[in-house]
Amino acid sequence: MGNDESLIAAHLQGDPTAFRELVRQYGDGVLGYLFRMTGNRDQAEDLFQETFKRVHEKAHTYRGGSLKSWLFTIATRVTIDLVRRRKRLTLISLNQDSDCDDENSGQQASALAAGDAVDPADEMVKEEQKEQVRRAVESLPVGQRAALVLAYYQQLSYSEVAEVLGCSVGSVKTQMSRALATLAKRLPDSVGVTK
Amino acid sequence: MNGHLTEQQLIDYQFKLASEAGMDEARAHLETCEACRHRLEQLARKFASLDLLRGEIKASEALVAKTVENAATRSLRRTLSLPRFAWLGATAAALVVGVALLLVSNLGPRPQRQIYTTNAPVEEKNAVATQTGAESAAEPERLVAQDAVGGARDRQSGSAAAKPQMAPAPAAPTNDSLKAEGLARSVPVRAPEETPHGVTTNVLGAAAPVVQLDVTEEKPPFAPASAIELVVLPRRENVQLTIYNAEDLTLVRERRNLTLKRGWNWLQFMWAGTLIDPTSLALEPLEHKGEVEVRQLVFPPRLRESGRWLIRSEVSGQVPFEMTYLTSGLSWRAFYMGTLAQDEKTMHLESYVRVANNSGEDYENAQTRLIVGQVHLLDEIATLAQRQYPYDSPANLYGEGDAIGGPEDEKELGDKDTSKPAVVTGFMGDLEGLERKEVRKEGLSEYFLYTIEGTETIPNEWGKRLLSFEANDIPVTSLYKYDQERWGDQTVQFLSFANDEKHKLGQTPLPDGMVRVYGRADGQGHLSYVGGTAVKYIPVGEEIELDLGSARLVAVKPELTDYRAENHTFDRNGDVSGWDEVQTWRIEVANARTLPIDIEVTRDFETAYWTLKLEDKGVSYEKYDVNHARFKLMAEPRSKRVFEYTVTTYHGVREQSLTNVQDSRK
Repeated sequence: MGNDESLIAAHLQGDPTAFRELVRQYGDGVLGYLFRMTGNRDQAEDLFQETFKRVHEKAHTYRGGSLKSWLFTIATRVTIDLVRRRKRLTLISLNQDSDCDDENSGQQASALAAGDAVDPADEMVKEEQKEQVRRAVESLPVGQRAALVLAYYQQLSYSEVAEVLGCSVGSVKTQMSRALATLAKRLPDSVGVTK
Repeated sequence: MNGHLTEQQLIDYQFKLASEAGMDEARAHLETCEACRHRLEQLARKFASLDLLRGEIKASEALVAKTVENAATRSLRRTLSLPRFAWLGATAAALVVGVALLLVSNLGPRPQRQIYTTNAPVEEKNAVATQTGAESAAEPERLVAQDAVGGARDRQSGSAAAKPQMAPAPAAPTNDSLKAEGLARSVPVRAPEETPHGVTTNVLGAAAPVVQLDVTEEKPPFAPASAIELVVLPRRENVQLTIYNAEDLTLVRERRNLTLKRGWNWLQFMWAGTLIDPTSLALEPLEHKGEVEVRQLVFPPRLRESGRWLIRSEVSGQVPFEMTYLTSGLSWRAFYMGTLAQDEKTMHLESYVRVANNSGEDYENAQTRLIVGQVHLLDEIATLAQRQYPYDSPANLYGEGDAIGGPEDEKELGDKDTSKPAVVTGFMGDLEGLERKEVRKEGLSEYFLYTIEGTETIPNEWGKRLLSFEANDIPVTSLYKYDQERWGDQTVQFLSFANDEKHKLGQTPLPDGMVRVYGRADGQGHLSYVGGTAVKYIPVGEEIELDLGSARLVAVKPELTDYRAENHTFDRNGDVSGWDEVQTWRIEVANARTLPIDIEVTRDFETAYWTLKLEDKGVSYEKYDVNHARFKLMAEPRSKRVFEYTVTTYHGVREQSLTNVQDSRK
């Protein structure tokens, strides 16, 4: 029995620490995915809680295999449910000023506090590039974005992405290919600072 | 290959999106074409920028903890549409912030008005110190909280309390004297103008001048912590209760007329046996504001649940004061009673509020106001009420903007409301007899204020029920649902309507409460209980679906009548790599009711790859989500309705064939 299956088994047997461990282990990935899909940190956190609530309730339906895929399948359904309820997808900016600015200012402050570590000018350029990447990813249609986030950022295989999104591997590859073609036009040419 | 690889081919190659043949072809070309290799490297650098976003989102430990906690606490199924409440929460939060800001503006320190006792001459201070044997080391300018060390106690002021008009002037309270006199804790308080509106003061049990001095006496008298005092009991002239149902919190404002003498006056009050928050006490003269100042609030040692105000008055005679405070123990809840018409197409709805008083205090002829909405509390009032001594100053506790919106804030908010208050006739059982009452409703942004007409006497441990509104012939939709995954083999009845004009409602939001629905059991109008559920706050315009629970007279029985597996495919090793399963289901809906019913049957196919065949034209179905289909049909009274469907599910590589079919349809 794999580690994932052991976790689920322990949870089903009533071990409260197992579920916490599960959330810890996969939390970053699931939250990242939901954030990329909704573009809103608060909404992503709400969906995050809903996702793991369903995981908690439906753990008995897990039939082995990739737990990560199973989790992302649930996260996708939770996102779809949100869409269905609201009749419109609030796929809004990944360019969340509050989130990013807070994070960035925090990072910058830490960097500045470190003194010799980071050149503020470099950081600024990097932030601009980051912003450009965010905008590019944000501009993708939902299906393409989901495929990209799952395959690239969450490093799921194409067949796992297909399982999560409930479509064929061919469809996933098509979505991916289109997404990357769009990004190729919109991403910055290179990362780093030209001096 | 002719020419160079296209950008798309390069992308597909880099991300392994091309077919095997395409990958081989691209690889072969790249081995020989430097230009394409260069472009591939450029693309790789470009896509490397995607990594800038990698790992920037982390689930905080707090989020993990909250998620684990939420997941463990399985919520009850709710059929209310939750997402619409997001704006409600935000508005309520904004309102709380607004109220807090108003309070900050009202409560902000005004040093020029900050008055402390007292300027005691050094010689007097020394005299008292000598008399009590204490050391004289304190500052004469202000009183500070201090613990005394015991010692002799001057009872002269106590006797003065018994005969206030004739009392000799006691010695001025200096730090030294206070030290010497015992455990007195004195707290500087605001002048009357600075009394926080949202934080109310209260005098319970007794409120009376204990010591009065002539105006020529420049020093305030010291009132010892005497356990034996005589006080007069000024009655409440009026009292207003504002009860927040979201928290165990009530704001009490009461008015009492106090008789003051020119000069210094001590006012003692007790709140034993009640649940008031002593840190929220505030006292404010309603007249002679420039001439009457509330200087100080002290909590004498050993005397539990009592405090003393020091009042400086330039007038002699009766002065009306308003005391405000927060208490717990008063609450109100809404509940609803719906009576369905015999055809179950309309409903009569009555809404009630029940006010209960377990605060330990009788409130006589109180104007009662009920607030719907969330408030932000830093402390539990009940906990504060149980403290032996309220050590901190009300100003300190609530003066920094965390206080609850007070009467003035509410008034301001109310003024901003543009909606016309709705007045609905109500009924209330009163101690003096049966009277017709009104519950007036006013919107305060996301708060809603219900004011009960006139005044109410609400004795401790009593509850009162008031009719808030009633509406006739509200159109409702009755729907039965069957979903094995959610409710097992039970069929559940739902009743839906909306809080809007079309449904003869919509004048006000409906507060949280229990809804009980009754039906007409027979032609003579006898009622039978149909079901009930708790509902959350329903804003105007919001739809509501009541889950009335299991329906015993409507049963659904699914039966698998045929099963086969077909279209097996095999891989290179001869193992099965895909197959289809074809299931035929017979669904029997038995309606034992005397009314026709609409029913929804939800079926789970446990896979996203399925197709369905349904030939019964009296039944419709929709793909509810990736795994589920939902059938809708009507069943005649006292009859059985049967329909069949055939579902084909695709497994293994056969899933691909379904996807291809769907893609080609697109």
